[in-house]
Amino acid sequence: MGAPMTPQNLLDNPLTTEKCTVGCPIIDRCLGGGIPCNSITELVAESGSGKTQFCLQLTLSAQLPSSHGGLSASSLYLHTEFPFPMRRLHQLSHTFRPSNDHNPCDYIFVQSVHSVDQLLDIMPKIESFIKNSSNSRLPIRLIVIDSIAALFRSDFDNTMDDLKKRSFLFFKISGMLKAMAVGFGLAVLVTNQVVDLMEPNEGVNGLRVGNLGCLYSSGRPICPALGIAWANCVNSRLFLSRNEDFVVRENQMVNGGVGGSGSEDFVCRRTRRSLHVVFAPHLADTSCEFEITREGVFGVER
Amino acid sequence: MEVSKLPISATQRGKLISAGYTSLSSICSASSSDISRGTQTAWDMLQEEQESLARITTSCADLDNILGGGIGCREVTEIGGVPGIGKTQLGIQLAVNVQIPVEFGGLGGKAIYIDTEGSFMVERALQIAEACVEDMLEYNRFLRNDCQVKTQPKDILENIFYFRICSYTEQSAVINYLDKFVSEHKDVKVVIIDSIAFHFRHGFVDLALRTRVLSGIALKLMNLAKKFSLAVVLLNQVTTKYTEGSFQLCLALAMNVMHTLTSHLIFDQHQLHIQLLAEGSGIPHQEVKGSK
Repeated sequence: MGAPMTPQNLLDNPLTTEKCTVGCPIIDRCLGGGIPCNSITELVAESGSGKTQFCLQLTLSAQLPSSHGGLSASSLYLHTEFPFPMRRLHQLSHTFRPSNDHNPCDYIFVQSVHSVDQLLDIMPKIESFIKNSSNSRLPIRLIVIDSIAALFRSDFDNTMDDLKKRSFLFFKISGMLKAMAVGFGLAVLVTNQVVDLMEPNEGVNGLRVGNLGCLYSSGRPICPALGIAWANCVNSRLFLSRNEDFVVRENQMVNGGVGGSGSEDFVCRRTRRSLHVVFAPHLADTSCEFEITREGVFGVER
Repeated sequence: MEVSKLPISATQRGKLISAGYTSLSSICSASSSDISRGTQTAWDMLQEEQESLARITTSCADLDNILGGGIGCREVTEIGGVPGIGKTQLGIQLAVNVQIPVEFGGLGGKAIYIDTEGSFMVERALQIAEACVEDMLEYNRFLRNDCQVKTQPKDILENIFYFRICSYTEQSAVINYLDKFVSEHKDVKVVIIDSIAFHFRHGFVDLALRTRVLSGIALKLMNLAKKFSLAVVLLNQVTTKYTEGSFQLCLALAMNVMHTLTSHLIFDQHQLHIQLLAEGSGIPHQEVKGSK
């Protein structure tokens, strides 16, 4: 990156921003290649939608060489929700083993963060850590914060003063992350929780942000936590929704001896998950369905 | 009689002397038109405005109508809206549209894009540039015009001077430097700042200082717009204000900057909704379209 006072020639850089593959061609196609470098991408979803799965998978796919859409990079995983899903990471690492000579888990640095102050404290350390890693075999080029909401939702009251302080901190943290993202060409993925929308179109939360009029998950109207101030801090926002489908399947196999009816209907529950682009500077309003299996998060062709 | 001996306050005496009035007779002989040097009649102003009635189209007829034909040169326009409504898209669109050659009714100028948020994506700019070239070819076919479309999408990208800013100090420095930069690059016709607010919403504890710095910046941009007759476009975030029991959208830092700017636009889904039409990578025509 040149000095800030001289303009950059846009043709000097590659004409498409570098992206980090998610590890599935269908989701990658939906995201235009994956999670973009040099900016902050936010992943919004209610609990149990697959945010952490997505993050874990990204830390593994980031290690892939650029010929496979990865960044050939290590990653830094800041987790604020406990415990860190070590077993799941280990399980996923079998699917995404870039080569046999090293264990992918060796290239994922995990740090727990308990409070906003701690996050601010460790920011300079993170920066020097990334700087030092630039000469190693796989330099750090991905930061995951899972989740940012957990830090902010516990420490602050719902008073004017606290909310003001809170949004000040949003901009501070986001400014630091963006500066690092530009300086080192990092991809930054931040997860966020959701809040239920009691009355649609009520107050700030009813405000339409991005492509989707209202976000629905599990059949309820919801909206991303942390409000509009935080929405101003991220470059792209992705939303994972889940909806339970009840599939009624007739079953002839049950013997008609006891009940006498001859057949019984079975109700199967199926979770339909989809990923939506709420807003992103480089993406149109698209979405794709995905499923979570033992091997990881994969898109489903419709 | 010497001015220095007049029974008036020291500051007034100083002002008179520095303006070149040393004696009472020199003050008496000064006519009103001498004193009002640098002023302009409204008639002159109107003439001037009609001559330099250069406007940059937004590629959206409805929006152009509201703006009186597009974003005006010699003006500072502030554009606000919720995240994801298309402020950056409009910014990139303007950076491309300012380069439409004069034969095609454009300005044939260059653009300065000051990115404070990191939302400027080169691939998106390239898409919009391609659509713009496509539009010019279409225009040729339609009017059976003989103008040659010489512009290539890559040339359009080359004519966008892109600054990536990571702190408010850098932002102030670049804005101070603009005067020099533009005097070296006279063909710059639009300066886009995306967004003016981001770095000022953290790092400033002293709000009075923030107000002073921001009004300084606004003043500099106004002067820049007048001096080089270029358009300055400020993209701004919105925040909510709690008044009379309900939440209202308002521009971030608006209290500070508002009275110094020429025009404002707030995009809101209720009043004017900018939506991205014709999306999807398969469709070549990817531009920001607005609908009322």
